[in-house]
Amino acid sequence: MAEQTQGAVPLSAVIADAATGVALALQGGGDPYALSRILRQGDPLAPAAVRVLGADALAPYALEHRAVPVGADDEAVVRQTLAAFPPGADASDVSAWSYRGLVEATHAYLPSHARPWPRPPETGAEWTAADPWPRLAHRVSQLAALALPGLAADLEEQLTSRTDDLARGFVRAVRRRDWLQAAGVGRWLARLPDVPPTLGLDAGLAFVRQMGGGDPRVALHVVAAQRFFGRGW
Amino acid sequence: MVTDRTAPIETAALSAEVEGLLSPAEPDGVYRDTRECGGGLLLLGLLLISPPAPRPKSGVR
Repeated sequence: MAEQTQGAVPLSAVIADAATGVALALQGGGDPYALSRILRQGDPLAPAAVRVLGADALAPYALEHRAVPVGADDEAVVRQTLAAFPPGADASDVSAWSYRGLVEATHAYLPSHARPWPRPPETGAEWTAADPWPRLAHRVSQLAALALPGLAADLEEQLTSRTDDLARGFVRAVRRRDWLQAAGVGRWLARLPDVPPTLGLDAGLAFVRQMGGGDPRVALHVVAAQRFFGRGW
Repeated sequence: MVTDRTAPIETAALSAEVEGLLSPAEPDGVYRDTRECGGGLLLLGLLLISPPAPRPKSGVR
């Protein structure tokens, strides 16, 4: 972990603040969303926080009733993020998919008039078929930001065949009180069709929010599931 | 000539931190469900304090 200078805000706090801003925007409260507004101006950790949040940093732009055009500041911080934190050769699958999700989100929600966005990188998806269900659920929860309308359509298609396994993973995560994992898997289940009704996904997501909503990223996943896919209370 | 060697190191450390936050390992699954434990204790207590089962009386009037 990077050493923090005295008095500096740790990266986790910057991420938590940004996640709170995104969740509030998805709930429709306050001013029109601007990514650059929920980040501190000139904060060297801002691009890192955007990289960790991935496509979620742009999620409010996916709302249909967006009234204000995207500003140049938002475009600048996203370009800085994509340039500073590309997945390396030894990066995990999650890192590569998360980066791809952010690139896809720029294409979908952040039209650029000046310069085109980079092309989404190639990402392997063998793990969606090969992973045993607990590992699959854990990995999918780390890619919860890709559960947005129009993003990662191929991943959605491949996860559809493992809906039951993800439902098992959701229950397992709740039983383990791993609220971040439960919220992430639940958000993906909210996007997938044919979720078993016996799972009780709506009540489950509400429970996860009640128990783990103190973590801004948990709250963000639950709000996104509700806002984009109408699941949860 | 003095060169600043700290910036690339910090960038590398930040990149490593980002990678760690993107795909952290799953925490160990050691947990206790207090409601289940409480329910078990309540059941045991009820069994211990329950009155003895009625038995047939030996004497016939």
